[in-house]
Amino acid sequence: MQDTGKNIIIAGVGGQGILLFSNLLSKYYMKLGYELKISDVIGLGQRGGGVESHFRYSTKPVLSPFIKAGDVDYLLSFEQTETLRYLHCMKEDGIVFSSTFELSTSSVNTRLEKDMPESKTEIIKRSGNKTFIIDPDENKSSDFDISKMMNIVMLAIYSEFRGYPHEEMIQIVKESVPEKFVVGNLKAYEKGISIARAKLA
Amino acid sequence: MKMMNGNEAVARGAFEAGVKVASGFPGTPSTEVMDYTKHRYSDIYCEWSTNEKVGLEVAIGASFAGYRSFAVMKTVGLHVAADALGGAAGSQINGGLVLVVGDDVGRIAGDDYNDVRHYGNMFNIPVLEPADSQEAKDMMIKAFEISEEYTTPVILKITSVICKTTSAVAIDENYTYQVKCRNKYKISFSKVIMTTMMMNAKGSEHPKLTKCFNDFPAHMKRLAADCNEFDINKLELNGKKIGVVTAGTPYFYTKEVLPDASILKVGMVMPLPEKLIRELAEHVDQLYVIEDGHDLMEKNIKDLGVSVIGKALFPKFPEMTRFTPDIIEEKLIPNAPKREVVDGIPFRLPVTCAGCSHLFISEILRKHKIKTAADVTCGLIGCFPHMETYSLQKCMGSSIALAHGYNVATDHKENFVAMIGDGGFWATGINGLMNLIFNDSQSTTIIVDNSCLAMTGGQHIASSDFGFNYKPENKLEIAKVCEAIGVKDIVTVDAYEFEELEKAILNAVNSNTNSVVIVQKPCVTRFKLPKSDAYSINQDLCTQCRKCINIGCLAIESKKGKDGKVEIVINEDLCVGCGLCSTACKFEAIKS
Repeated sequence: MQDTGKNIIIAGVGGQGILLFSNLLSKYYMKLGYELKISDVIGLGQRGGGVESHFRYSTKPVLSPFIKAGDVDYLLSFEQTETLRYLHCMKEDGIVFSSTFELSTSSVNTRLEKDMPESKTEIIKRSGNKTFIIDPDENKSSDFDISKMMNIVMLAIYSEFRGYPHEEMIQIVKESVPEKFVVGNLKAYEKGISIARAKLA
Repeated sequence: MKMMNGNEAVARGAFEAGVKVASGFPGTPSTEVMDYTKHRYSDIYCEWSTNEKVGLEVAIGASFAGYRSFAVMKTVGLHVAADALGGAAGSQINGGLVLVVGDDVGRIAGDDYNDVRHYGNMFNIPVLEPADSQEAKDMMIKAFEISEEYTTPVILKITSVICKTTSAVAIDENYTYQVKCRNKYKISFSKVIMTTMMMNAKGSEHPKLTKCFNDFPAHMKRLAADCNEFDINKLELNGKKIGVVTAGTPYFYTKEVLPDASILKVGMVMPLPEKLIRELAEHVDQLYVIEDGHDLMEKNIKDLGVSVIGKALFPKFPEMTRFTPDIIEEKLIPNAPKREVVDGIPFRLPVTCAGCSHLFISEILRKHKIKTAADVTCGLIGCFPHMETYSLQKCMGSSIALAHGYNVATDHKENFVAMIGDGGFWATGINGLMNLIFNDSQSTTIIVDNSCLAMTGGQHIASSDFGFNYKPENKLEIAKVCEAIGVKDIVTVDAYEFEELEKAILNAVNSNTNSVVIVQKPCVTRFKLPKSDAYSINQDLCTQCRKCINIGCLAIESKKGKDGKVEIVINEDLCVGCGLCSTACKFEAIKS
């Protein structure tokens, strides 16, 4: 059956390359002829603030730039505190991809707020949605810096999961990132494929 | 078709409208309008002006010369430029004059809950509001046409949602730029001059008088009548139960949640298309207004004597900062499912980048309990309770005058200090400095020279070493200007020389004359300064006194270790190796 479109939230914190991620993904869907709307919400501050991107592709014109809670098919999150903010937005059969990376919040660091007593990863796993948890520490590599290239790792994981042709996605990456980063990005992409294949096996 | 965000689409619209001059001042969310204009369309003269008021005045002058011009700023910036807008409103317009204003709906960029449409009401000028990138481009062109046809400045309201939403825009790839020039009027005066004559010499037909007349109330009346026929105001008659008057992105939320509703999608939010509103009101059982920002359309519709439900059902700030499809569903769809956010997720206060010079200054001020006013710069993060450095903070450029006011009121017994960024200093802060000198006041000002407007992404200012129209010989030196203004005591220090900086600040604060400390360090984020080796905390020596945490550095975290015990740690990916935390640690636990 033809894919008529999906609603995706991409979440994380400033500096994780979320906007590049949604840019790369948009190029793929545009090539397939989908209509798109991508809305980026970037909080105050140059670094460390929450970033969310609402990514909608469809065979019909996309109306709202924001996805209504309950309509999210895929949540791709690069930071697990941020993952928690969108769990209630998922469709019942929506799927969560979440990195275990966590950037502690300034309010908890300075004891203005208490951190959640429970493990955030466990809350995500318990959400009732299908979840894929990715631990960057377990997947460190000397070939590339996973803390900076989680976006490319995630792109590969998502592509593998959706059954998209990797050579097309890799081509988009090559065309879009500065030349000096291409080699590292391709290593990150390969890593993503192997993580996804292990998870899906 | 090309994918563009709203900012890029506005720039494209300017290009296709044949704009000659673009000016303004950076401000999230609309800063990129200028960036795209400059980098894509080299035919258009671009400048970042010293502040919003100057920016708008430049555009007004260019418009009088006959050329289509626009100024860009955010709503808070328009507060600065409001006097200039009042001067242009109701005056003769030659080349179309458009003011592109970014309204921070949802307070996404951290602004106050403002609404630019108030200026439309106050100055009686039209306001257009696009709902996606295609409309942003089209309405930018339409705004120039309206400006010339109805002899008025036009506000194009773009929002933090429009600016940052990417969607397809139809463009003619082969379009060739054509500059438009129209010289209709030999004079253009503020409406004070015209109203003086209109009210007092009504019957006179002397050419010296008539050439000054600009019957702006008549122009606006004609516009209010004509706008019922504008294709940017769309009446979609559908079901009879629910009717909605809406504008901007809330139009799409409404369409998605209420597919059967009859909708009046207003592209020009001021003045409103009265005929279309009445037609919709008659068609439906209940009329609603769904508008982001304040309840302005609601009030204007009620003024027509049309009954409409707005904030009674959708309470505004602080209950709601912007519409979402969810809110419309919750209120207007019976038995809508309730979805609760996971409980207790910690909030992210804005944090200063690791290695920022503001952290060094803040650390010294806090250490010595120096009472200081902050400005609107990245440094204002020091007002938040995780840092608690500053005790007074208001608008951009204000801190110098605030400190001066405090000092004269307290007979200069406390020496209240001002901290200001270089951007705020050039924008309006310099006036505060001139003011305190010629009023014979003594005060200390710390100017943070990071070579750019950091918070909006690093645009150039008068003292930058780069810029759209940069020439080394035109660069303004902060120290020289302060000296020329008459500041007695001026020192320049490198932010990373902690002891020197501490000494300079203490000397300045303790001296009895007016003093300026210029703290230099290029913005670490904008200029991607080379990193030194990351620091780390020796857990055996750390007493968890949390002095380092209170610096407010993004790289220092308080985290549960593997054994569940809380540890203070330095995130080595974020640390730039500036060493400030090591200076603050009394237990020598922090080492490179």
